Amino acid sequence: MQDGTTLAEKVNPVAAFWNRPLVQAFFNDPITVISGAFLVIVVLAVALAPLVSPHNPNDRQVKLRHEAPFTTGTAIDRSSGSPVEDQRFFLLGTDHLGRDMLSRLIHGGRISVAVGILGVVVSGVIGIFLGLLAGYYRGLVDDAIMRAVDVFMSVPLLFLALMVLYILGPSFTNIIIVFAVGRWMLYCRITRGVVLSLREQTFVEAARAIGCNDQRIISRHILPNLITPLLTLAALDVPRNILTESSLSFLGFGIQPPDSSWGLMLAAGRQYITSAWWVVVVPGMAIFLTALSFNLFGVWLRAVSDPLQRWRWLKQSKESKEAGIQF
Amino acid sequence: MRNYMVRRLGHSVLILAGLMALLFFSINVLGDPVELLVEDEVSQEVIDALRERYGFDRPLYIRFGEFYWNMARADFDLSIRHKIDARELVFGRLPNTAVLALVTWAIAMLGIPIGMLAARRPRGIVDRFVNVLSFAVISIPDFWLALMMILVIAVQFDLLPTSGFKGLGPEGWKYILLPSLALCPRVMGRNAQITRATMIEELGKQYVSTARAKGLAENTVLYGHVLKNASISIVTLMGDELAGFMNGATITETIFGWPGLGKLLIDSINNRDLPVITATVFVVALMVMAINLVVDLIYTWLDPRIAYR
Repeated sequence: MQDGTTLAEKVNPVAAFWNRPLVQAFFNDPITVISGAFLVIVVLAVALAPLVSPHNPNDRQVKLRHEAPFTTGTAIDRSSGSPVEDQRFFLLGTDHLGRDMLSRLIHGGRISVAVGILGVVVSGVIGIFLGLLAGYYRGLVDDAIMRAVDVFMSVPLLFLALMVLYILGPSFTNIIIVFAVGRWMLYCRITRGVVLSLREQTFVEAARAIGCNDQRIISRHILPNLITPLLTLAALDVPRNILTESSLSFLGFGIQPPDSSWGLMLAAGRQYITSAWWVVVVPGMAIFLTALSFNLFGVWLRAVSDPLQRWRWLKQSKESKEAGIQF
Repeated sequence: MRNYMVRRLGHSVLILAGLMALLFFSINVLGDPVELLVEDEVSQEVIDALRERYGFDRPLYIRFGEFYWNMARADFDLSIRHKIDARELVFGRLPNTAVLALVTWAIAMLGIPIGMLAARRPRGIVDRFVNVLSFAVISIPDFWLALMMILVIAVQFDLLPTSGFKGLGPEGWKYILLPSLALCPRVMGRNAQITRATMIEELGKQYVSTARAKGLAENTVLYGHVLKNASISIVTLMGDELAGFMNGATITETIFGWPGLGKLLIDSINNRDLPVITATVFVVALMVMAINLVVDLIYTWLDPRIAYR
């Protein structure tokens, strides 16, 4: 704090929050702000899907098939028993069965985003657990786990995914299993690497000397140091999972109708690509923009958590500017 | 060096054996192999006949031994669909995938100079542009990009054929261009990213200041020192990309009707052709290991400090 600041400013929580370096670094970078805002919108939209989607995603209006984006059509509402005419606005058009694309997009996004995040959580938990075991206890456990990592690393993810779904059958749960068996190795490797270097350091030795047991050393002294590298990996892994899920659903091995995901919407619209471009472009853009935002946010997270790179993202302080220091 | 090679090869063989054991147990223990062979509704007689034909009624350990013995001889039985040797089928498709991989990989090398350009001024205009663009290309779903390319390049402007395969000879070049163009942006983006990141990291090291202080030209510093040190990470990544090529290729080959290993796997799964599935996974794992081995050897050549004993 500079000398001129008053006590009132010091305790103002908003200003204190605003002045935190991480918050400053976030709002200094327009690209990160845009991708962060987009992610908030996507997550809110899919979380509150029944509230925010304008129409019923499964309501077929056969007379309104392939309506272009930004058109209004007269739908026939049969939900209340007798048919009632209803003027509806289709922001993103309708698909080959006359269903509202925007509503389907919001509901399909629930599965796409859930698969992305749940896949990371499950593979992360497995990988971190095995990585901790391998790095902390070394010896035979380490050897066995690292050989397993090598085995799983030797098949491309999509091959592994197709095999798992071929054997277990396609379903939402099995897609999560695909990511659990196909991605845990990355978390395991990173965790093991960090633990290997940490367990030799003085603070761990000191903790052991004052009588902490393994469980306490791992949870209180080692795990907090793992948060940043793992969080960064996770942020970059969510878009990968979303893309892989959409590929699998596109190939027919992923989510099955009547459920819907963005990949499945694309697959269903594929045959109408020349007559109604929006049925392919809209879900494609949804996948693309969501994955891009996660990636850009993840790479920002990685940059600011790296002490050698962080300064590039922080606002230049007044003092250093006056001193003529150039970045 | 020779000792290292022998140990490294032994390691690869062990991994392959582990992988195939994993495959065997997931097919035979997690799933029922007969159910994996047939369509949903068939009579009990057909199931029993198949069980006997493929020997699934014998104990697990005998089948496991047989599975390994067949694998050692690279014998995977006849393809159920095509009635020819599964091994021949897979090795017949291998060159098609390999050529597609190499063409894509060659185009994607363009990412390296782009990454170097970005690294010259971190957070400058070029860097920001390259950064966002490289993340944009890795965020595009590859099947969507393929569809868009078909729509624009093949249908709208009629520059290249939409899909198909006319051999690997001179008359087939038109057919390989579109699939590799659809595949390469992701690899190119990753190449640019890793080149940029490692170059920036290397530029922060002290030997760069020393080189500049003794008056070397910026280009000598960049290409003579920094790029050479950064090349280890770049080679690793490019090896990874080649090894992970099957991820994108499976989808691209399916969309463009390119008869490679990825399309073979998808078709075999759809036809429930278990011998071909096993053979494909085996050959792809073999390919991945060979690539990793070559990358390891290039390391020693690039960085003499890595001494293998």
